[in-house]
Amino acid sequence: MKKHSFSLPDAALLLLRIFLCLLVVFPCVYAFLGSFKTADEFSRLPPRLFPDSFLNLSNYEAVFTLAPMGRYFFNSAGTTLLVCIVKLLSAMLAAYAFTYFDFRFKKTLFVFLLGTMMIPADTVIVTNYQTVSRLALTDTWLGIAIVSFAGASQMFMLTQAFSQAPLALRQAAFLDGCSDLRFLFSVLLPYCRPVWVTLFMQAFVAQWNAYLWPLLVTNSDRMRTVQVGISMLTSTEDTNYQVILAGTVAAILPPVLLFILVRRLISHSLTEGAVSG
Amino acid sequence: MLMSLKRHKKREQARAYLYLFPILLFSVVFVYYPFLKTALFSVSTVNFMGEITGFSGLDNYRYLFSRREFSAALGNTLRLTAINVPLTLLIALCLGKLFSNSRPGNGLFQTLIASTMAVSMSAASMTFRVLLNPTIGWLNAFLGIGVRWYEDRNTALYGILMVTVWMGIGFGFLLFQAAFRNVDRSVVDSARLDGAGGMRILLLIELPLIRPTILYSVCTNTILALMTSGPVMIITKGGPSRATTTLIYLMYTTGYGSGNYAMAACIAIVSFFLTLLFTLVSLQSNKGEGIG
Repeated sequence: MKKHSFSLPDAALLLLRIFLCLLVVFPCVYAFLGSFKTADEFSRLPPRLFPDSFLNLSNYEAVFTLAPMGRYFFNSAGTTLLVCIVKLLSAMLAAYAFTYFDFRFKKTLFVFLLGTMMIPADTVIVTNYQTVSRLALTDTWLGIAIVSFAGASQMFMLTQAFSQAPLALRQAAFLDGCSDLRFLFSVLLPYCRPVWVTLFMQAFVAQWNAYLWPLLVTNSDRMRTVQVGISMLTSTEDTNYQVILAGTVAAILPPVLLFILVRRLISHSLTEGAVSG
Repeated sequence: MLMSLKRHKKREQARAYLYLFPILLFSVVFVYYPFLKTALFSVSTVNFMGEITGFSGLDNYRYLFSRREFSAALGNTLRLTAINVPLTLLIALCLGKLFSNSRPGNGLFQTLIASTMAVSMSAASMTFRVLLNPTIGWLNAFLGIGVRWYEDRNTALYGILMVTVWMGIGFGFLLFQAAFRNVDRSVVDSARLDGAGGMRILLLIELPLIRPTILYSVCTNTILALMTSGPVMIITKGGPSRATTTLIYLMYTTGYGSGNYAMAACIAIVSFFLTLLFTLVSLQSNKGEGIG
């Protein structure tokens, strides 16, 4: 246990830290404070930071009555979980094959898969839209999710992690009569849990926050995701700033809370990833 | 014995391909195929249904390069990238350094700053849209200035920049504070014993040691910045008078909005080569000595 004795520079540094921290999170604080204001307070000049009362929850009510926000959350959660699960499972299987199996075109296929990382997803959305509409998947969960299934970077990180696991682990498991899949799911995955939990969180946040593709591929209000939904609060009610901010806060909260919950795990395994990747 | 070994090898091969099948399928159908199709579209005449009607060589590119909205979009995208990448890197590095040690309260600060990376682009855009509103927004009133931000063609791009830089801070911070924490203490301590000051230690020891993290952050940020489109779509719709139109935004509006698939494909291919070029350059420049 290290003892901290306070001196003047220490206190100044602490103040600087508090200030910088507040500065970074300020947009979130601003949205939060604004979500309790009334339309009247918003039109009052000069604009003030704090609302008159924190008990004014009418904006949150408005968000959930003006738009099917509950449905948006459901869609976001469903598509995000779908992407994370399929993406990680397919990446795990591929990483397993690359780590333990010997087969023709192994190197070629590895490079071929990594090559997908050179193509930014945003550049192919117009042609992907044609594919998805030909498959009759527009306006469905699968349509929103399917273009994000390929996870080359996840495959790469998992291959790194798997190859660092001791080979004796597999030999022992196989002597006990374990099959490949059983070994993967009941020995290998628990062994490198920090890695895939981190990858899962990254994929989760990225997909939860996706905007361009979900906007493009959905056209009925029922299928919108949260991100698309809150950006549409403006087009219907252009001057309702307080409702917009309430919607924003509602959309920010779930991933941020989730993030804070698993933050310790993330910040430990991220450094490993940044060094090896 | 030899026979069974051979059979075993064959089985293993079959199983390998089976395991690789899902990710290969997704990669081919939703990455490589659309990419090749986009490349093909860019050198073809395409009708509004998205069907190829003929070969047109480089005519599409020639036409695109002569369009004023394209040069505006290219300029805006490059400017966004040129400012965003170094600025985000600098802010994230400074914050990472300031908050990396175990002083009282740092755990809470770290969590707060890092949690902004979970804030979505559309939520951030909506918030900045209100915050930077010239009349009811708080920023102008607080600073006592009359900048019209998103309504003025001279400042709108900087308003977009504020959103994109802010969104990059959380993740960059997380990477750097962890990287600084992982720097070998004994190296730093022995340098200090040799009389090196804090600034020298930072520049000559710590920064070179965390170079892989810097490189990683520059690469990912460059690609993200070149792909900027979301805040533009939500806040400014590319305006006022194209001041914030970016390449991907232009691609989206010409391809999906106006049904001009060939032109959208050209823009996509140009964006692709830009990201490729920038990635290669930043990888190259970080190979030598010094900090990128």
